Amino acid sequence: MRLGKRIFLRLLAGVGVLWGAATLTFVAVNVTGGDTALAILGGPDALPTPEVVARVRAEYGLDRPLIEQYGRYLARLARGDLGESYRLRIPVTRAIGQQLRATVELALCATLLAVTASIFWAMLTAKRARWVRSFSSGSELVVSSMPSFVIGILLLLVFSFRLHVFPASGSHGWKSLVMPALTLALPMIAVLSQVLRQQLEEILEQPFIVTARARGLGDAAVRLRHALRHALIPLVTLSGYITAGLLGGAVIVESLFARQGVGRLMVEATTNKDVPVVLGITLMAALVYVVVNLIVDLLYTVIDPRVRIG
Amino acid sequence: MRNAIHQTGLGWVAAGVLAVLAGGCKPAPHPVEPPVSAASAAISYPAEDYREQSRGRPGGTLKVSVAADTGTLDLHAISHTNAQWLGRLIYDNLVYLDAKGEPSPWLAKSWTISPDGKTYTFHLRDDVTFSDGSRFNAEAVRLNLEHMRDPATKSPLAAAYIEPYADGRVIDEFTFEARLREPYTPFLDVLAQSWLAMISPKQIRENPRLIGEAPAGSGPFVVERYTRQQGIRLVRRDDYHWSPPVIGHEGPAYLDRIELEFVPEALIRYTSLASGQYDFTIDAPAQNAAAIRADASLVIQSRVRKGIPTRAITFNVTREPFTDVRVRKAFALAVDREGIAQIMGFGEFKPKTDYLAATTRYYDPSFQDALKYDVPAADRLLDEAGWTARDGAGYRVKDGRRLSAEILAAESATPGALTVAMQSDVKKIGFDLVIVQLPAAQLTDRRNAGAYQALSGGVWHTNTPDALYILHHSRAITTPKLIGQNTSRLQDADLDDMLAQARQTVDPAVLSDLYSRAQRRLTELVPSVPVYENLPIIAYRRDVRGVVFDTSHNTPVFTTVWLDRENP
Repeated sequence: MRLGKRIFLRLLAGVGVLWGAATLTFVAVNVTGGDTALAILGGPDALPTPEVVARVRAEYGLDRPLIEQYGRYLARLARGDLGESYRLRIPVTRAIGQQLRATVELALCATLLAVTASIFWAMLTAKRARWVRSFSSGSELVVSSMPSFVIGILLLLVFSFRLHVFPASGSHGWKSLVMPALTLALPMIAVLSQVLRQQLEEILEQPFIVTARARGLGDAAVRLRHALRHALIPLVTLSGYITAGLLGGAVIVESLFARQGVGRLMVEATTNKDVPVVLGITLMAALVYVVVNLIVDLLYTVIDPRVRIG
Repeated sequence: MRNAIHQTGLGWVAAGVLAVLAGGCKPAPHPVEPPVSAASAAISYPAEDYREQSRGRPGGTLKVSVAADTGTLDLHAISHTNAQWLGRLIYDNLVYLDAKGEPSPWLAKSWTISPDGKTYTFHLRDDVTFSDGSRFNAEAVRLNLEHMRDPATKSPLAAAYIEPYADGRVIDEFTFEARLREPYTPFLDVLAQSWLAMISPKQIRENPRLIGEAPAGSGPFVVERYTRQQGIRLVRRDDYHWSPPVIGHEGPAYLDRIELEFVPEALIRYTSLASGQYDFTIDAPAQNAAAIRADASLVIQSRVRKGIPTRAITFNVTREPFTDVRVRKAFALAVDREGIAQIMGFGEFKPKTDYLAATTRYYDPSFQDALKYDVPAADRLLDEAGWTARDGAGYRVKDGRRLSAEILAAESATPGALTVAMQSDVKKIGFDLVIVQLPAAQLTDRRNAGAYQALSGGVWHTNTPDALYILHHSRAITTPKLIGQNTSRLQDADLDDMLAQARQTVDPAVLSDLYSRAQRRLTELVPSVPVYENLPIIAYRRDVRGVVFDTSHNTPVFTTVWLDRENP
């Protein structure tokens, strides 16, 4: 019962967040001003006839008062209709749908890579000799503060242009997925392993670890069986950060590696004032956040019984 | 039309990082191949550029990279530059231009024009089909013209180009009559442009929304799959045998397939071509041109587009200080176009001082010295105009006001290099140019309201000297009722007269005289500062053979391309 109520309240808050995101984007798009009809028709370098301009205004309801446009927009959203892309001339849901698989693929690969690599790295370097720790935290600092397109270009230089191991662009097969996923994952690995190592080091000081060691367990077994499980909790907390990193990173990585995907669609839509697509992707991102947060919330109650009682 | 190649900030940083890290990338100084004729004449490329020279070997897949995606393949519905070469792959047109730029047959075998210039009768080929099996005939032409101007198509370009078209009549299955409201000699020219290509009448009637994704054209290649943000896969149409006679090619294309991919980053387009991931790039970055030339396995080519050259600035002649033609002229004289072309084109671009692209029919090179770079002359003109005093910062002053103007530019991380270079050029004659960056939509608003002193940038590719009308006739000034390209808001009765008359004239001698006078008049009126010719650069691997150029757009045509490989 309590869990059910908890989920219900969370969902309600989620709907609120979505409504807020929808409203904010609508306002943001409209305060920048400018004639949307003309933007749709190709901006300053087009020659639309008056009939065409009138048609576009009427078809997209741009000749209506703003408040009415907002009302219609919300009503459409409630029906799950995101409207039609101005530039692509297809429904927004379809436009996003066409790109979704590629982005999900990229995001999943990057997450998998980030989580396994950071666990491995943290386990390897926690509570080691001083130089090992300073080397690892130093390199983590460098990687996490590097813009992802610099990382991407470095990878391209080495693996595409010099060694010719992976293709520089496109979306075909696993080979073209390796470098984009790595680019997206590297900064995450840097942050996650830092947090994990700190946590591990704290835990490795705990009495129960000493007990375990006293029972004659080897170092690897202690780290793997006893310390790791406890250290994983902050990883769950950081999943919000991971999600943000994935969505934001996709924009840059997809453009750099010429991969198809939602991030690149967002870039194109923003430059071309393709409002319905911008709104659609924003809402999708908000939805992902809401769902991720809900799952994290529920996970806490599974991992840490104290939350359930509180 | 919009320029498809956006040089993102990312690209610049990327190029810098590469330059620092690559080390091995040899910037071999290589002489720039000069175009066929010297700068002092009209540019005309040899006929071989436009005509197949020898038969090629069939087979193989050509991998092509290109900077941007048009978003839709319905070319009637866009003004995107990519339509120029895309159209030649998927579609055909009624008319093609010959190597000199005169209209010549394609899907229309021949035509007659009534003495009053208002009725065009087209005699069509009777053996052409679209990829969905439907026939090309007079009704198909009628439906296509209707589709272009149907407001539901939301055409930003094609509709305006056939604006004088009143109605069409199917005389018999293969004879079509187009009636115009007024004489309009550019009609045939625009019908040769890819934005006005012929689409399957069946598709227009039954499923027009599908044109954007799976178009049925009559062109040498058929779209197998179009994936937005990724690419277009095209397959050869085996029964194609109606390429324009001017190209001199019989039968279908040589390539089995073309795999086209969108690669937005300039740096990646260059490196992936050099590494062999692609055979061809339609948008080769100018900054890598020297490296491409130095690579024996690559070929680089560029042809000046027809129409209006790139402008550095367009003056609003109805706003101070540009109401005074002496100020406009002094400004133009002070801009070092050689230097700017060098900065922007890395030695590839051709500086430009007059108002019509040198490849356009009826271009007259006689006036290209009128606005030649001449700082002392610019200073004299400003003195004459009364801007004699100087303020503390060194700018000229008259009646207590500084000689200054705002130039509106599209918002970006940093103002364009072109505008910044121009700003420092005119500072030397005491002119304070202030760069104001605005979001695209606001820029469009200000532009249409005429609320600016000057605008930055701008190009207009077309295949006809009527470009001058589109840019400079007073009827092309934007009003609440009409959007036009005359952003200098120039109203000159003489110029209007010449350009309007040219639209009604068929006699080449008279046309030549009218357009020549119009070009001279523009160098006197100085509505803008042309800076360099518009030059798309293509690059490909040396074993890609048979590349010819399109006579309308000077972009590559792939019907004649073949691969000189053992197993293509």
